[in-house]
Parts: sequence; C-alpha cells; structure tokens
Amino acid sequence: MSAMLEIDSLHKSFGPKPALEGVTFSVMEGEIYGLLGHNGAGKSTTLGIILGMVAPDRGEVTIGGVSVQRERANALKRVGSIFESPSFYEYLSGWENLKILMSYSVRFDPDEARRVVEMVGLTERIQSKVRTYSHGMRQRLALAQALLPMPRVLLLDEPTDGLDPEGIKWFRDFVLKLRKSEGVTVLFNSHLLGEVEVMCDRVAILKAGRRVHEGRIADLAGEERIYEVDLDRLEVALPFLELQGCQVLSPGRISLPDSVDPAVMVAALVGLHVRVSAFAPVRRSLEDLYLEITR
Amino acid sequence: MMYLRQLRGELRKLFARPRTYMGYAAFLIMELIIVLVYRFTDGRIYMRNLMERNGYESDFYFSSLTLTFMVMLLSMFMLGSIFFALVAGDVVAKETEDGNLRLVLCRPISRLRLLGVKWSATAIYTFSFVFFVGITGYLMAVLAVGGQGGLFIAEPKMKVFAVYPEWSEGITRLALGAAGIGISMITLSTLAFMFSCFRIKPAAASILTLAILFVDMILQNFPFFRPFEQWFITWRMSGWVYLFEKDISWPKIIESYAFLGGLNFTFFIIGFLAFQLRDFKT
Repeated sequence: MSAMLEIDSLHKSFGPKPALEGVTFSVMEGEIYGLLGHNGAGKSTTLGIILGMVAPDRGEVTIGGVSVQRERANALKRVGSIFESPSFYEYLSGWENLKILMSYSVRFDPDEARRVVEMVGLTERIQSKVRTYSHGMRQRLALAQALLPMPRVLLLDEPTDGLDPEGIKWFRDFVLKLRKSEGVTVLFNSHLLGEVEVMCDRVAILKAGRRVHEGRIADLAGEERIYEVDLDRLEVALPFLELQGCQVLSPGRISLPDSVDPAVMVAALVGLHVRVSAFAPVRRSLEDLYLEITR
Repeated sequence: MMYLRQLRGELRKLFARPRTYMGYAAFLIMELIIVLVYRFTDGRIYMRNLMERNGYESDFYFSSLTLTFMVMLLSMFMLGSIFFALVAGDVVAKETEDGNLRLVLCRPISRLRLLGVKWSATAIYTFSFVFFVGITGYLMAVLAVGGQGGLFIAEPKMKVFAVYPEWSEGITRLALGAAGIGISMITLSTLAFMFSCFRIKPAAASILTLAILFVDMILQNFPFFRPFEQWFITWRMSGWVYLFEKDISWPKIIESYAFLGGLNFTFFIIGFLAFQLRDFKT
C-alpha cells in the first residue's frame, strides 16, 4: 500500500504564535486516518494547508504524489472535503449549490449528481432552497458536494458535529461503505473519540502544534495487561496478588505480569476463600490514550 | 468553456440574491419620480428656457430621448454608484463572511481564476444595470411625454452641446452613451471589488468605495483643482458624455477609457494580491 497523502514537516505561525511545528504523517491509500487534538492544537490549520487554503511557512503536502504547494489545482482534482457547519448559498436550492460547486472542479454531470444525491438520501429535497434544510440535511448535502466528482481522498473536518445519534451512525456507515466500494482514502478530524475509534485504522494526536502520537487503533490495548477486579477479604487478597508480581493500580484495577495466567490467579484466590465477583481484562480506549497524552 | 460555466454560476448567485435587485427597484422609483416631476411641475421650465435660449423648439426637443439622457446623467453617479459599490463590495467579502468561500476554495480552482470569474460577473452586472436604467427610463419617459421629438444634449461641465432631431440618431447616441456609462462604472465596481478582497466586512468595502468616489467628486469641483481635473477618477468616468458630441472626439474618449482601464487593472491586481496572501482556515 502506498501513501496517498503525505504531510511533511509542516510549520506555520500566525503572528508570533506557532500553530504547527514540524507536523509529519502519511495516510495510506484506502486508509481511514484520524486526526485528534484539543481546540487550537493545529488540526484545522493542517487541513487548511492540505487544501491549499493556508500557506505553510515550511513543509509540504503531497496528494497522490502531487505537491499541493506547487501544483494545487492538479493535486486537489480528486479531493473532496466536508467542514463542520458547511455554509451553502442559502438562497439557492441544494441542486444549484451542487451545480455551482462542481463547476469549480469539472464539468457538471447531472447523472452523476443525481446518483450521488440518491446515495446521500437527499433526492426528495434537493430542489428545495437550502435555507429550509435541517442540520442533518445540510451535512448530507455537504457529503454530496464532497463526492462530486468522486474523490480519491476525502477530508472530513468534524463532519458529525451537531448530528443526532442516528445521523452519526448513518454517516459512519456511509463512509465505511464508501471506503469499501470506492477505496477512498479518508482523513477524519473529530472530537467524538468513540467515532474515531470505530472508523479509523490509525490516528495521530496533535498537541500545541506538534504530533505527539501516531499509532494503530488495533494496538491501543498495548502491552500492558490490566484487569478490573472485584474481591472481598482484601487483607488476604492484596498481599497475595503483590506476591505474584501484580501491581495494584487503583482500587479494583490491577496489572498482571506476562508470566501469570489470569485463570490460575482466579483459582488461587478462590482457594484462599476470596470471593471473586469480577476479574475481567480492561481494554484501553482511545479516550484513555487521548487523555493520557494530552493532559 | 469551463470559465463560461463558472461565470454562469457566479451570475446565478449574483442575481439570486434579493439585495442585487434593490438597485433596480430604487431606480424604477427614482425614474418615476423624475419623469412625474418633469411632466406635471415647473421642472421643465429650466429645460425649455435652455432650449429656447439656444434657438431650439422646446416642444420638439423636450422629448422622451432628452428625458432619458437627463435621468442617466443625473442619477447614475449619485444613486448608481451606491448600488454598484454595494453589490461589488459584497462579491468576495460577503462570501468570506458567510463561509461560502471555504467550500469554493477547497476546489481545484486558482484564486486568480476565481477572482477573474467574480470580477467578470460584477462587470456584467454593472453593464446590464446601466442598460436597465436606460431602457426603463426611456419607457417611462415615453409614457410621460410621448415617443416623438429629438434629443437635446447640454452638459456644460464637459462642454458638450448637441442636438439630434432624428429619433434613430438620438436613440443610437443614447445606446452608445449607455455603453459608455457602463464601461465607466466598471471602474467603480472594480474599486469596490478590490476592497472586497481584503479582510474587511462587506459594508466596509462599500463605504470605502463611496468615500473615495465622493471625495474625488468634491475635490474635482473645487475651482483650484481645475488644472488637475483629468487626474480625477470621476472626471474620467464622465468621459462617456463625449459620445454625444456631433463629431465624436475619439482621442479624448480613448484617453479617458485607457486611464480607467489602467485603474481597473491596478485595482484588480491589488485585490488579487491581498486575496492571494490571505489564509482561509477551515
């Protein structure tokens, strides 16, 4: 798999304040990559530079091997993007908005537009003025404009912000289906860590303009074996656990060394007449990792 | 072809906005007032005296053609400029303010081309607006004083004085004059367009444009600035009046429009540079 989107050592300052300091990462073809960080961490600046809307002080972005900074029009030919609260021309219909926006990329193809409008489930309201649309419908329209023409790279900046749970699920399923059917590469920026965890293959975390973490979602659990336990007779159980090399992290949470088999440990505790109500492995979530890194 | 399609989209946006039509409505009302005042009050006395003092038959020359010329001469600078500044000042700044530009700028279109498309739409609007004023002004004048009579031109400031007894010649000169005003007014729209490219509110772009126009106009009318009048934008913008001379002095017209063309180019480049250097965050 080759890199579709390469972000190389981006530096950007707004006045004396550095917004990005050497941010580097790559997104592979067909991958869904999450970009996380607090407000002001540099996510939007990074997306702005990828789209050529913000000029970096140093560094370069290449899409499909074409530099955005040197050949912007060529690099963005097959890139679609969605922003948080997209602003359409309210006084025009959804269809006219698509027509105008698509004309900045390629020749408007009504058949292709109809197909995409149907895909996003907006066929019935596409001829209505955008000012009559709900937030969910606007996001669907935003998705439709991003898919016209069908992109190879999709940049999603807080796309599910303000959507209800049903809308969020619909959006997630749609993007996953799109990746499967069209092989689209996705860069996903969201504060909804649960969504990122479900959708993304890899994530990068930005903090104060620097990339402080990059890794696979599948590797989140890490090497550490943490268990959630509920025991009685702690005066007997805790010394025994420590003797076996376990570390008590907090009341009800322990880490087990690699040499210890949890099933054997439970049997031994029961043998000591300790009542074991719970003994379950804890999977570290993206939220745990995120808070750990950004605190 | 792509450029034309993009231009069509830009015109669609421009003419779908209600505020674009404010100028049309305001001019219709104003034309109606001017024509009614001329028709039913003593307003015509001044014109009649002027014609008769110069030995022309006022019943013949106080016509729909002459009224149309008066409407265009009196209204375009004062009222037209407000609407051109309003619409052209909005073209980029309003889209930036509303956030529409983010959706456009993430498309593979260069900023130069985008501004080229927007400027073209603004120029078309300006030009078409002048013709709208001319045509509706003429139709109202016909309703008020009838379709007969010749065209009487008296513009003392630019020293243009002419009469056209034939209707066909008079209407041709009016059409030529309207084209001239249209081209002149593009300079005003380009000035507003330039300000619209800066990081300012749309209203600020319009106000700055009008401030420059009115300061230019006021200074130009000071007697001690008379020797420098050809350096004033509004004086050059009045060059369209030369199109009504019996023998059109093309060198004077070309000089004025070359001056305005140079200004348009300069304003556009300044606007482009300001726009090109801006960062637009998502």
